[in-house]
Amino acid sequence: MSAAVPDVKEIWNGRIVEVTLGAGPDQGGTRRTTVTVGGQNTLPFLHFEGQMPHKPVVAVEVRDQAPDDWSELLVQAWGDVLSDPAAWAARAEELGAEVIALSLDSAHPERGDTGAKEARSTVRRVLEATGIPLIVYGPGQPDKDNEVLVAAAEEAAGERIALGNCEEKNYRTIVAAALANDQLVIAKTPIDVNLAKQLNVLIGDMRLSRDHIIMDPTTGALGYGLEYTYSVMERVRLAALSGDAALQQPMIVTAGYEAWRAKETRTGEGVPAEWGDWRTRSLLWEANTAVTLLETGADIVVLRHPDVIPLVKQAIEGLMQDSPVA
Amino acid sequence: MSRYIAQAALRGANLIVREAEEMVEAAIAELGPDHPVAFINTAYYLPVILGFTGLEVTNLGDLRKAMAHAKRLLNSPPSQQLWLPYLGETLDAGAATLLATETIEGVRFARGEQPEPIPGLKLTGTSFTSPDSNGGQAEGGFANGPIDDIQLRAWGIQLVDGRMPGFAAIVGAARSNEAAVAIVRELQKRNILVFLSGNVNGRSIIHQLQEEGVEMGYDTYIVPFGTDTISAIYALGFATRSALTFGGMSGGQIREILLYNKYRVFAFVLALGEVDDLKYAMAAGAINYGFPVIADTVIPQILPTGVTSYEHVISMPFDDIPGETDAEKARRLVQRCTEVRGVKIKITEVPIPVPYGSAFEGERVRKADMRVEFGGSKAHAFEYLFMAPLDEVEDGKIELIGPDFSEVPEGGAMNLGILIKVAGRKMQEDFEPVLERQTHYFVNGASGIQHVGQRDITWIRFSKAAVDKGFRINHIGDILYARLHADFGAIVDKVQVTLITDQQLFEEWLTKARQAYQARNVRLADMVDEAAEEFYSCTLCQSFAPNHVCAISPERLGLCGAYNWLDCKASYQINPTGPNQPIPKGICLDPVLGVWQGVNEFVYQNSHQVVERVSLYSMMQDPMTSCGCFECIAVVIPEANGIMVVSREDPSMTPAGMTFSTLAGVAGGGQQTPGMMGIGKYYLLSKKFLYADGGFKRIVWMSSFLKESMAEELKAVCEREGIPDLLDRIADERTATTVEELLPFLEEHEHPALTMDPIF
Ligand code: SF4
Repeated sequence: MSAAVPDVKEIWNGRIVEVTLGAGPDQGGTRRTTVTVGGQNTLPFLHFEGQMPHKPVVAVEVRDQAPDDWSELLVQAWGDVLSDPAAWAARAEELGAEVIALSLDSAHPERGDTGAKEARSTVRRVLEATGIPLIVYGPGQPDKDNEVLVAAAEEAAGERIALGNCEEKNYRTIVAAALANDQLVIAKTPIDVNLAKQLNVLIGDMRLSRDHIIMDPTTGALGYGLEYTYSVMERVRLAALSGDAALQQPMIVTAGYEAWRAKETRTGEGVPAEWGDWRTRSLLWEANTAVTLLETGADIVVLRHPDVIPLVKQAIEGLMQDSPVA
Repeated sequence: MSRYIAQAALRGANLIVREAEEMVEAAIAELGPDHPVAFINTAYYLPVILGFTGLEVTNLGDLRKAMAHAKRLLNSPPSQQLWLPYLGETLDAGAATLLATETIEGVRFARGEQPEPIPGLKLTGTSFTSPDSNGGQAEGGFANGPIDDIQLRAWGIQLVDGRMPGFAAIVGAARSNEAAVAIVRELQKRNILVFLSGNVNGRSIIHQLQEEGVEMGYDTYIVPFGTDTISAIYALGFATRSALTFGGMSGGQIREILLYNKYRVFAFVLALGEVDDLKYAMAAGAINYGFPVIADTVIPQILPTGVTSYEHVISMPFDDIPGETDAEKARRLVQRCTEVRGVKIKITEVPIPVPYGSAFEGERVRKADMRVEFGGSKAHAFEYLFMAPLDEVEDGKIELIGPDFSEVPEGGAMNLGILIKVAGRKMQEDFEPVLERQTHYFVNGASGIQHVGQRDITWIRFSKAAVDKGFRINHIGDILYARLHADFGAIVDKVQVTLITDQQLFEEWLTKARQAYQARNVRLADMVDEAAEEFYSCTLCQSFAPNHVCAISPERLGLCGAYNWLDCKASYQINPTGPNQPIPKGICLDPVLGVWQGVNEFVYQNSHQVVERVSLYSMMQDPMTSCGCFECIAVVIPEANGIMVVSREDPSMTPAGMTFSTLAGVAGGGQQTPGMMGIGKYYLLSKKFLYADGGFKRIVWMSSFLKESMAEELKAVCEREGIPDLLDRIADERTATTVEELLPFLEEHEHPALTMDPIF
């Protein structure tokens, strides 16, 4: 019987770069825990084939001002902390977040237009309120991103935070800020293997070392292009494992953001009855999006709903079990 | 290497090293070796000493060690230490000078003599305005001294991300106050950071700017270091710290630090006024960093490149610079500086009175809305871009020769010649047509302006609305200038545009332009695959056809028609990590099928190990993959022993039993499908068109759109093939939409394919 089972193991000659987020007191930071991702030389969770030395981690999104376009479900679940990023981050940590993904949303010209000063103080407060590593996102508008991310990088000097998003149009400034303050960057490209590769090369040309780069290949939610982004990520990972050094960076995905844009999570009324309970549906929507992306190579998933955190962590736990399925 | 400069630099170095040593010893005798030495607000100790030696100077005693190092450099025999041995001695003397001058500043700091007092000087933002620095100096009266770490980071980020092109270390004094102001303004205009130091007979450029009321300080990007040459060391300290901060290097890694500066910090030294031995010695120090020296007086030049990217030392006597005013001379001087250092200018906005953007590209100007047109049926217009040596192009000069259109009645036409003269260190004659073709997109981006055609069939319309807003002929020049710099800055350093309406000049240049077009045609015809050393790839379409690679050779363009071999070559220069990469041909495995080892390897790698073999000249055996954006599809019609070519514009049924869109679904997606292949329409004209399958004579059916839109070119091909009326023997959708209709047509017209070898 046993002879009939073919050996399907692949030998890959590539390995994903190990990237550590956060720095403890012995490395010049103040984090109580740090997080290392990457290091695998096989496709996700194929423990029989190669090593996956670090489990994927859960980051939780925190905004520097109460979001005004979030689903009622999210608003209820988080409650008062939404208006205080430090309290929100502390709560997220309590609930099991392994990384805080702080969005400096108020810097957006149309959503507050705050500047470097406010960014510094928010970053400082969040760092003080938590002991886990930090990712800081700009508002997604190049000029403002440059302004607040540079400030954040300086304010958090020594903490090994990640700066996002570092995109083709502004990567130079973000990378320079990372270089000057020894921070990481999140290199984001629009669902395209070659563009992802090119941005990594360009960042490398600026001499930021590879263990300072995390890629965001851009994803969709369940039902909203997830399959396509899944296959792009899969191609990225396959190329990386086949030896393409420019793609061997760990990947981060914003599963929460994507899932909560879907109609299925946003609306509780006027939808077919067979869609089921709004809350259950929404949590599963986010969890499913996240877990699917874990299966195609995500190393960090950024989540939104507090109750999804344990779901995804449980899934990761299960997937990390070494024992082959009976 | 100029012997004169070498000797002067050596003399200067010896003198300053001795002076520094004496100062250190005197200070130690007075204050003790443990007396602290530090620049303000920096974590990099004395940065140049740190960079060169790894020594972290904290007290006077440490300076002794730095001096020992300097002396060793001076006494070293002509060495191999740095990468150009024949310059070695002078470079080492320069390095010793840097260590000595920084040591001197260290001693001065220890004695509280830095920053240097300059009566009446008020700075707008300095290291001393921050309350926690060694206070009291916020009142003014002092030069800036070294730049602190906070400012270094702020400017460093801009230098690294390219918002700031580089810095100019000015040493000495300008010929006049006006010239001083003009030079600094020119630098500011280009966003170049300005560092000031030194003097000529006691007068410094700092005094000159002070007298003229020019604001200096961090806020204006003009930093006065001090009025002696020694203080210029702070510029190199800044450069060293840039490498340490942004290059991830540490103290002592001097080779890496110097190379980092050579390739990434676009700085230069501008020596104003007489150059003495110490200045030569400092200059030699700067050259170590790859920073060239430009002097506004007569000094020997060092032209060959080596340690610096281009020339090392340039003399450009201010009086001899052409120009009416000091401002104009200053502009030329600064221009030359940026050229010598290879500083690129960045232009983000197109300065015209109408909105500009790609959204306006498709806009049409109807006759009724038109104020004036150039070209068309009633007048002629042409555009001609050509390259010239760097010193023959005046960057930014835009000139109209001849009358404006004010005399032309509304809706009328006039002749216009657009001459675009470009220069650049990386410019090649082959890029001329590539850049010239951009005129269409560039000009079309202006709201209310329409551009069609190219070369001498250019046709431009200005709408009434655009003219009402102030759009004039000159603005075409502004657009071209801005866009060529913005989009092609990697290959173009200078752009000058001349717009000609003067009748006689127009005729003259039209003739010249036509000769050039003709020469280009010949050159293009001469460009054969055999002669090229490398082909190019395009992987742009992998975003939707993940394994598709266009292999583009001189005789076969990309299947979308948008990229030919020259385009790819230029695109690679502009964006070396982009989608167009050179493919070394390697061994030719089959000249008929067009198979090269290098192409196979490249395609295999870049198709993610899916496509193993590609023949460039066949659609039957290992054809190139088709992504989806092909201009035409070629399909075998077995019954006719030939092929048909249907164009994207043709909606009709074809003898293959499918329309273009159905065929596209079958052929696309990045697969190799023998018998079916996407092509760019200009490939039809190539001698290598399906060469292995019988070439152009195999075409039995072709969309009438192609026959008509490329009538002349196709006629020439038929003649080349020896059958002048071949085109008439090829069916189209008007004569045959089924094989049943096709075959009798071919019989009747005695199409050559019928008697060719079987295609299978
Ligand atoms: S079809 Fe055009 S754009 Fe696409 S890969 Fe080929 S040359 Fe590039």
